Amino acid sequence: MTSMVDIHRAHAQSHKRGLIAYIILIGLLVYVATTKQFDAYITNILMQAVTYSVAVMGLTVVLGLCGQINLAQAAFFGLGAYAVGLGTVDYGISFWGCIVIGIGIVLFFGAFLGTSTLRLGGHYLAMVTISFQQILTLVMINWIPVTHGPDGVSKILKPSLFPTPQSYLGFCVVVLAVVGYLVWHLPETKLGRAMRAVRDNELAAGVTGIDVQRTKVIAFAICALLGGLGGCLFAGGFAYVSPDQFSFAESIVFLTMVLLGGVSSPVGAVIGTGLLILIPEWLRFLKSIPGLYLAIYGLAVILIVLFMPDGIWGFVSQKLKRFRKVLHLSADVPELELVQTQAHADDVLVVTSLSKHFGGLKAVDEISFTVKRGSVHALIGPNGSGKTTTLNVLSGLYTPTGGSVSLDGHDITHAAPHMRTAVGLGRTFQNIRLFRSMTALENVIIGGERSGNPVESGALAREERARAALNFVGLGDRAEELVTSFSYGHQRLIEIARALAGNPTVLLLDEPAAGLNSTEKMELRDLLKRIAAKGLTILIIDHDMTLVGAVAEHITVLNFGRRIADGDPVSVLNHPDVVTAYLGSDANAAH
Amino acid sequence: MPLIELKDLSVRYGEIEALRGISLSVEAGEVVTLLGANGAGKSTTLRAISGLTKPASGDILFEGRSLAGLGPEQIVRLGIAHVPEGRRVFPGLTSRENIMLGASNRSGVSKSDIAREADAMFDLFSDIRPFADALGWTLSGGQQQMVAVARGLMAKPKLLLLDEPSLGLAPVIVSKVFDIIKEIRRMGTTVLLVEQNARMGLSVADRGYVLETGKLVVSGNPSELWNNEDVRAAYLGGHARAS
Amino acid sequence: MDLVYQLLFTGIGIGSVYALVALGFVLIFRATNVVNFAQGEFSMVAAFLMVIFAVDLEWPYWLSLILSLGGMAIYGALFNLGVYYPLRHRTYLPVIISTIGASILVTNSTLALYGPQPQVLSNLLDFQGINLGTVFFDSQYLLIIGVTIVLVAFQYWFFEHTLLGKKLQATSQDKEMASLLGIPVAAMIMITFVYSAMIGGLAGILVAPILFVSIHMGGTIALKAFAATIIGGFGDVAGAIIGGLALGVIETFGAAYVSVPYKDGFAFLVLVMFLVFRPQGIFGERVAEKA
Repeated sequence: MTSMVDIHRAHAQSHKRGLIAYIILIGLLVYVATTKQFDAYITNILMQAVTYSVAVMGLTVVLGLCGQINLAQAAFFGLGAYAVGLGTVDYGISFWGCIVIGIGIVLFFGAFLGTSTLRLGGHYLAMVTISFQQILTLVMINWIPVTHGPDGVSKILKPSLFPTPQSYLGFCVVVLAVVGYLVWHLPETKLGRAMRAVRDNELAAGVTGIDVQRTKVIAFAICALLGGLGGCLFAGGFAYVSPDQFSFAESIVFLTMVLLGGVSSPVGAVIGTGLLILIPEWLRFLKSIPGLYLAIYGLAVILIVLFMPDGIWGFVSQKLKRFRKVLHLSADVPELELVQTQAHADDVLVVTSLSKHFGGLKAVDEISFTVKRGSVHALIGPNGSGKTTTLNVLSGLYTPTGGSVSLDGHDITHAAPHMRTAVGLGRTFQNIRLFRSMTALENVIIGGERSGNPVESGALAREERARAALNFVGLGDRAEELVTSFSYGHQRLIEIARALAGNPTVLLLDEPAAGLNSTEKMELRDLLKRIAAKGLTILIIDHDMTLVGAVAEHITVLNFGRRIADGDPVSVLNHPDVVTAYLGSDANAAH
Repeated sequence: MPLIELKDLSVRYGEIEALRGISLSVEAGEVVTLLGANGAGKSTTLRAISGLTKPASGDILFEGRSLAGLGPEQIVRLGIAHVPEGRRVFPGLTSRENIMLGASNRSGVSKSDIAREADAMFDLFSDIRPFADALGWTLSGGQQQMVAVARGLMAKPKLLLLDEPSLGLAPVIVSKVFDIIKEIRRMGTTVLLVEQNARMGLSVADRGYVLETGKLVVSGNPSELWNNEDVRAAYLGGHARAS
Repeated sequence: MDLVYQLLFTGIGIGSVYALVALGFVLIFRATNVVNFAQGEFSMVAAFLMVIFAVDLEWPYWLSLILSLGGMAIYGALFNLGVYYPLRHRTYLPVIISTIGASILVTNSTLALYGPQPQVLSNLLDFQGINLGTVFFDSQYLLIIGVTIVLVAFQYWFFEHTLLGKKLQATSQDKEMASLLGIPVAAMIMITFVYSAMIGGLAGILVAPILFVSIHMGGTIALKAFAATIIGGFGDVAGAIIGGLALGVIETFGAAYVSVPYKDGFAFLVLVMFLVFRPQGIFGERVAEKA
């Protein structure tokens, strides 16, 4: 057993070695780029590849990490390029000043498009970005007094610091290296994890405390920023920009580059960009027939999506994975603590006259119940009685038709899912919703990253807490494995650990026993008892009466959307209405 | 020869074993009820019969012929109609249109004949006649259930699979739905009924089977099952007194 | 005042084309939950087929029209088999990207085969139009409006009064349930693509004499049709028609009173304004979130 600090030190050291190797590699590249004599043609191709790669990494972030589409990357690229072109030529602003202005402009448009569209879902975003692309092309061509129209802007100056093309190329390589480094490490940051969570499972991301909308907008803005930065560098390198360089077709080229190389990594971005800049140069004869080579791009897009969804780098890294060994570090972490916020009142979750109707169907009809602090409360009822709907209203996935919900004195009736999590609501799902591309540890860390978590934060503390939560459910030694490699029952435990890491005030468990075999059910029962022993308030929904009877101190029974009984287990389970609800009544005799 | 026979049927959903080798049969003209708690595998059994879920092993014989490899569209043409859990009434179509589409498995029937048959369904289900032209999503749960059963009968099935017709319905509506099942039985249609509501489920049945976590545990006639302690335990977890 | 009537007429004419393409959009979206980004190419391909048959081969218009629409039916079927069907179990993102790939492929293949110069197709009717006062009713616009009315009426009858129409609706609402009733789901989706390609193609043929027949006509029309569906309320058939007409009128008046070069920009401006202020469109969501 090693301590967390040791593990962290080991990680930091391997990280440091990697960084040094990376810096040496980039140094070599810069040395070659600046000293070796290239002819102008080669320099231009390299310049294009490097500046395009910066923009394509933007797509790595938005599409690869966050799962959102952007079909206007050429427009952002063009905005950056025009900022440098017009700024230096017409307004006499320095190159560096233009970069700042250009980035400001793309961030503004990126954030505007993002905030107005991202909540509406993928199709809207695709269309709106295409529209933005088209409008921008129209403006570039038609607003002649400002943009010079179809002729474009020529005689753009390089910054005086890098007077020769090759020294400027060296500078661009450094910028690309820095961007690549940041994008490579982004997935391991809190923001990057949030993006991946949104991509893997938007619903679960919200319930785990991630502000889904904000995360998407940030991803989109970063993508726009990198597009704009690439464009700024491009304008300096080529000294000439015109509208046709930034058309919709170019946005498709950017998209093809990231898809071909692989959306999941900046390495894929560089591979895809390099190939798609070199291949057309090798196949220049194709350009003699207009349209032919873009037609091949179109076909390539379809074929990649059909047969190589992870791109070249995805394919290669899959092969490499066999040689990489997974570290099995069992860290010596302290036992999981569940810190409770200062109690305001004994009634921690108060549900009053809650209703949810779907058209003519009253799924939940004026239900009221109160969960006491520190108790295990069960909500039961036959299938279709409205339990899961109630839970979905409680966690903010449905808006109630009427009634109110308050948690720890806060009215959360209309709060978004992540706001409820911030107040202290944690939950699991009947059909497990883990972030499937991540390890068990990453899943649980995200749970601990919720805002309002009363436990101290900081990367070390968060990881320690996540490991403690995994130890608590008995999976600590498999923390580094992907969640998809766990059995169904163990995935359920990871989901519980994810909720526990966030220190919830109330834990909602949605049919935790569903799909488990009898041994797993016994383990689950013991786990729930251990959680309850730590004083955490639990609201459990299940059909499994053995489980409910063994752990619950208080039971509320629903049937056809209404509350039919409420009280301690023995009296509730023998309540005539409950027996009737489960075993059925002879309805004919009753009438 | 039984109308339908399940032989050592197993179904898996990824990691989960939903059915673990069950064998049962239904004779022509019978009403057989499949009981069990939620998650026991009742719905999975029906989904396997109607072709929505592919079995991992075992076989299903309908009129002596194996259903292996057939999809739901082909199986319903052989005469097995499935009224699934949750009713699944098309929300954007009217009750009448929903019911008329129930005849989609029969070829060579004219639209006017189908319309006439659908109208006859409103005699059997008189409660929904006033809502014949209301869109599916505006109906209450009970009305949706009646539309769903009527839609299933429009297939003129040799075997009708009914999945939890009492789901989420108030007792007075449940009793109406079961009156209709009795009527269906009187008309001679063979029914395989899945029910959580044990008393109601057994009240219309000739025989019953009890499933527990993917396995058949007991079978027998309704009164035997009703008085069986194991059946009660499967539902109420042994906490309730026998009444 | 006459100018207003003239513009209104022109706007409704061009808006009818957007409405037809939007209709095709909505049908595919409802059947597959996928926005087809190659929808505009249905119009473009049909217009080029018409140029091949009627202009290059000099066959009669009626025959060219039948052949072009027949060609579109085949194209719609191939499109379904090549671009949508293999991806039907994946999420929407690969499907979107695949349709975008198809759009690029078809546009540029046409460019490679036919070159960049726009083609001209003359009015389908022999007479030029009618003068009523100072307002000129161009025959092509009259034809467009007439065909749109007939098609919308046909579609209403088809979906509301035929069993096949009901089966298509059932498929778009719940595929699993439809298959349980014996409705052949794959065939229903195929019919949707074929029909959608044909009405998109018809719109392209009708608008060809007004615009030039160029490889870019598909992209422009598709974006406007999409804007029309957003204005009307996404996935709503009536909304798509009203949205298309509204957009045609807004655009025509915008071009006349504000700026010609930015004519194509108005659609996008309206689109963005709707997205920001009323994303559910004029009609909003008709069917509740869960039935």
